[in-house]
Amino acid sequence: MRGSPVPIPTEVTVHEGPALLSGLTAGPGLAAHRARYGPLPTFDLAELTGSLESTSVVGRGGAGFPFATKLAAAARGRRPVVVVNLSEGEPASAKDHALATRAPHLILDGATATARALKASQVHLVLPGDRPAVRGAIRAAIAERSEEFVLHLAQSKFVAGQAQAVIQLMNGRANLPVTAWQPEAISGHRGRPTLLSNAETWAQVGRLLLVGPAAYAALGTPREPGTTLLTFSGTTGRPQVVEAEYGSRLRDHLPAHAHGRPALVGGFHGTWVTWQTLASMPVSHARLRVLGTPLGAGVVIPAGHDECPIELAARIATFLAGQSARRCGPCLNGLPALAEVLRSLADGGPGPAAITRIRELGDLVTGRGACAHPDGTARMARSLLAAFPGEVSAHIRGRCTMVAEGAVAS
Amino acid sequence: MSSRLRVDWPRCAGRGLCHELLPDHVSLDEWGYPVVTGDLTDADLQDARDAVSGCPEMALRIVSVPAR
Repeated sequence: MRGSPVPIPTEVTVHEGPALLSGLTAGPGLAAHRARYGPLPTFDLAELTGSLESTSVVGRGGAGFPFATKLAAAARGRRPVVVVNLSEGEPASAKDHALATRAPHLILDGATATARALKASQVHLVLPGDRPAVRGAIRAAIAERSEEFVLHLAQSKFVAGQAQAVIQLMNGRANLPVTAWQPEAISGHRGRPTLLSNAETWAQVGRLLLVGPAAYAALGTPREPGTTLLTFSGTTGRPQVVEAEYGSRLRDHLPAHAHGRPALVGGFHGTWVTWQTLASMPVSHARLRVLGTPLGAGVVIPAGHDECPIELAARIATFLAGQSARRCGPCLNGLPALAEVLRSLADGGPGPAAITRIRELGDLVTGRGACAHPDGTARMARSLLAAFPGEVSAHIRGRCTMVAEGAVAS
Repeated sequence: MSSRLRVDWPRCAGRGLCHELLPDHVSLDEWGYPVVTGDLTDADLQDARDAVSGCPEMALRIVSVPAR
């Protein structure tokens, strides 16, 4: 994806973890996977639902929706479809990349067992257009298996991984978001109930079914059993993917260079936070959502030591404006306007009206598109004002207090 | 349940007919796209149906939402 302030990674550093990312040294092959976990058991729908409900598995693509609820909706309709979304449209995220290249059979086991329980005829895999390593790893993994998978190739576009955009792609249309009048679990691919989740969600389901609810819930908290994957990325360097137990402290997982720095939590559509806030965060989808700093797809982007978050936010907003599908008027017009104000703020001395204008544009684009791209962009921009009021004021006056030099770089 | 107007954003071209028919519920933003506010009362429903059927882009629908 051209112009992304955080480049799409070709290589990812994946740390050994307690569950999904354990036993990495054995490699990603099916033989090693079966040696570790044994054969994939068969489950009926009631057993599958019971396991999911007892472990409160939620979607890891960003929305954090309970997977059992989605499954139940899809199971009520006729001829459901199962979709594994590996498109990972957010350049700063690398967790699905990590799973595809290190533990692809957990993903495929989760989707296969669920498809059997739903009596879905096929599992669809949506591969990323701009991550060749993921495509290669998934092709190698499915070549080792007996089941058939239907492959789709997503476009290299930030919004291409959005659920409705993926369903458009599967239906042979442009890989862009459209208005959803019903959730895809009720009416999706060709009007059929469509259980679409991202790769990590399927890997979590896969591990749950392979090890059982008790072993799955041995990690995490009673309210949020298990683990979740986090990506630490930035404008330079290789992204790092770690697996964090729910209930642990986020700061204990952060790379050394993140310490003391503000960060963008939740990816490009996320929330800016100070170091003090970041350091106090628990690893929890539920609690961070309540605190107004949702974990989203688990991306944390610490500002570099010589990097001003306002400058980085302006670059991200410009990129996001360029990634609009250009179909919805408020997004098409509002995001470039928002990016322009952030640019003037980053450059310094725009006048105090810039703050009002960011709020106004944020209100204007939120909830007024086929997908949440305008909402997420507005969230990111507005959170800058909330997290760094003093620094924003300094920028209004033409000074930068976020990097060592003091004056705004021109 | 109550009724609201919902815009199909990729279809909407900002033609503004909905604003002319339902000025109390639809204002226009600075680019000419509709800003929809408020639940529809029974008295609004006929105008709302006219706006839906009259929209040149077929970009407007009446949807039911849980009452708040």
